[in-house]
Amino acid sequence: MSFLAPGALGLMALSIPLIVLYMLRSRRQRFEVPSVLLWSGEEQFVSAALPWQRLKITGVLLLQLLTLIGFAVLLGRPFFREQTLLGPHTVLIVDSSGSMATAGRLDDALGQARSLASDASEAQLISVVEAGAQSRVLVAFSREPDDVLAAIDSIAPGGTTEDLAGALRLARGLATPDRPTTLLILSDGGIAGAIEEPVANAQHVLFDSRGDNLAITGFGTGVPGEGATRLFLEVTNFSVGPESVTARLLVDGLEVGSEAFDLDAGERSQRIVAVDAGAGQAVSAVLGGQNDANPLDDSASLVLSAGTDLTVTITGDGSPFLGALVESVPGLRPAAGAPPDVLIVDGGDAGIVDRPAWIIAPETPPPGITVVGRLESPIVSYQRPGEPILDGLDLSELAIAEADIVDALGWLPIVRAGEIPLVLMGEVAGHRALYFTFDIVRSNLPVQVTFPILGARILDWLGGNRVAATSTAPAGTAIGLTPPAGGTSLVTVPSGQQMTLSAEATTFTGTASPGVYRVDYLDQDGAAAGSAVAARQFVATESTGDARQISTTLDDTATEAEGTLLREWAPLILAILLGVVLIEWWVAFGRPLPRGRRRAEVAS
Amino acid sequence: MLLEPQLRARLERLALANRTRLRGVWGGRHRSTRLGESLDFADYREYNPGDDYRRIDYNLWARLGVVLIRLFEAEDEMPLQIVIDNSRSMDFGDKFPAAQQLTAMVTYMALISGERIRLATVPEPGSSGLVGPWARHVSAWPKMETWLEDLDPDGGTDLVAASRIVASTVSRGPIVLVSDLLQPGWQQAIDLFGTARGGVVLHVLSPAELDPDLTGDLTLRDIETRSEVPVSMSGDAVERYKARVQGFAGEASRRCRRVGLDYVLATADTEVLDRTLRQLVAGGTVR
Repeated sequence: MSFLAPGALGLMALSIPLIVLYMLRSRRQRFEVPSVLLWSGEEQFVSAALPWQRLKITGVLLLQLLTLIGFAVLLGRPFFREQTLLGPHTVLIVDSSGSMATAGRLDDALGQARSLASDASEAQLISVVEAGAQSRVLVAFSREPDDVLAAIDSIAPGGTTEDLAGALRLARGLATPDRPTTLLILSDGGIAGAIEEPVANAQHVLFDSRGDNLAITGFGTGVPGEGATRLFLEVTNFSVGPESVTARLLVDGLEVGSEAFDLDAGERSQRIVAVDAGAGQAVSAVLGGQNDANPLDDSASLVLSAGTDLTVTITGDGSPFLGALVESVPGLRPAAGAPPDVLIVDGGDAGIVDRPAWIIAPETPPPGITVVGRLESPIVSYQRPGEPILDGLDLSELAIAEADIVDALGWLPIVRAGEIPLVLMGEVAGHRALYFTFDIVRSNLPVQVTFPILGARILDWLGGNRVAATSTAPAGTAIGLTPPAGGTSLVTVPSGQQMTLSAEATTFTGTASPGVYRVDYLDQDGAAAGSAVAARQFVATESTGDARQISTTLDDTATEAEGTLLREWAPLILAILLGVVLIEWWVAFGRPLPRGRRRAEVAS
Repeated sequence: MLLEPQLRARLERLALANRTRLRGVWGGRHRSTRLGESLDFADYREYNPGDDYRRIDYNLWARLGVVLIRLFEAEDEMPLQIVIDNSRSMDFGDKFPAAQQLTAMVTYMALISGERIRLATVPEPGSSGLVGPWARHVSAWPKMETWLEDLDPDGGTDLVAASRIVASTVSRGPIVLVSDLLQPGWQQAIDLFGTARGGVVLHVLSPAELDPDLTGDLTLRDIETRSEVPVSMSGDAVERYKARVQGFAGEASRRCRRVGLDYVLATADTEVLDRTLRQLVAGGTVR
């Protein structure tokens, strides 16, 4: 134990006069009583000749000495050193991605952030950055604990993938030149694949609590079939043991059916379900009957849209699977000699593509792509997170005989086998293009449950999102707004909360929570001027609950002194002192105060 | 005014009870130890010359041939002596005003009943007689009340002497003692008072004496003797004192009962008259 004001310990010397007072003969007060007959036996005679008496060690004396010493120690301000993560300027980067909703990770992270904010001294600055779908600075360079706590309290888990790289860029932008800045990452590490290098001058506090979790990892439409809308539903068991669950299907909030799943640990089950729903209706799937670790991935929603017919022409080898796909997807039809809206180049010459095209292992690649080799039996190891085309689809069981190794500068790989791209997105002659480096007939893709969905989404994207029967996107994706001139947009979020946006607002970015968002447009007079519905889905990759330690380094400026907190013992000592004083009172008077004894009042 | 009119009206319906035969100087309403002229038959005895021939029982004479005369009970007054302790020890709290009121209450009841009473104070050591007025009729109440009101708690302290004087009185009747008994020899005094023909001891103590509110190191000085006792007033000491007070009152009660006296512990507070009167009625001392 050390003292901030050790000079105050000198007050312990007052114990000497205290002891002297006990050795002095006390001058008793004199009171008259009717008779001393009944007081015989209580006499305590003292010598009147000497001013001193023999010191009697009584409980009261010991307690008074203890109280005196306690006060001296209290004024000496004893303290102990406690390791802290805070530095002169600390940027708290709080991960609010969907995986942080697992087993209370975000609650733990926010609790630690609050604790740190409360421990901060007036000399320490704190900034808070939320790493969510769109990273943002919540508070910067604050010395006010209340402001920091308010910023921390505003963080809620979303259904998105964290933009940790963006958050780190923001945090580094907050670095102060006059004092060392420490980045404190409160995260589960998640799928932060973009953070490859050790993060400099940062510390990562890992939150990796786990729990049994069942999740909807795929939910979409566009699957061919008879009758009404066909839904694709995939449920995955991330628990350590087998689980049973029932998924309820709702159309505009009304239950229209259910599907039961019995899943072993790690098992994924896919179903095609027909529901009676049409354009403009919101369809949801909700897992019930279980209490799992991450409640955000227990539901998924989409909005059926009317779509517009696209014409498609298949060139090259023309796999029969592609022909069947075009004929079966609602909204698609063969071009029948007319110029198509979308072109499927299956193994032919892709060098003359003049419109949006799905290019599948062409003999002649389009400009910008060069085939440099071939790879046998590639295994899918990477799917780009948050990519709408791949959302909810698992290609890990895709078996490919061989694929081209391409040099595609300017193209974005969305599916890779190691570092070898298998599927790329890009542009050819100013038109959207999707490039498969493998022939689908030399793979098991056409017989996968996901093939119709994948094909429908690819053609939807190539056609400018006009074909798809659904309007959905990963949580965090902004919603475009088209309010009338001078009007406003009233957005109802999944929790029921409503927000009014001005006519200047063309997007709504507060879509971190998965669910259905309704937008009502109001004109200048406040009259209804149309509405729209959009759905945002939980990013399925966040359901795994995977956690990992982010590699970090601390530079030399983060000295040991900056990592310690001086915490005083004052509250504990005060409590002990109060207890000692109460015991002293009890010992002195032998009974509680309520009777309110008056000292020395004998007769009226 | 020691007694409120309402209380006096209430006292007029009550009277001191007497459980033994008395020997008064004057006739009265109480059974006497001698024979007399009342209507209550007592006994026969043989006729002696000079006896009142109106008392000869002629029926017995005719039937038995013996001349007998009828004897009757006598009824005497009750000579009541009331001794009030006006020593300095009574000058504590409301003890002495309470003692004055209690004495006045008993005095008024006796006067209303037509008893002959004597008020007296405890004498100084060495005195040979009690000092105080006599009275036999309620018309004397103002005089008795004035005498009581004029008393100060600075009188004598010889309770034993008072008891000896009472015990030697020729005209013995009941005794009423109003005192705190806080004097050495109080036990002997009670024994001597017991030679009277009944009576009651009204033991007056202050609430502060029964439950003292003292704390700290004190020197207690006796009001009467000026002697001092150094005391450390802890909770335990107060509890021990209270136990001794209870023992003191209990011993006084037992000793009174043993010598034929009633005992009432009168706490000197605002309810002392009403509470004491109820205790006297409950104990049969007053009816």
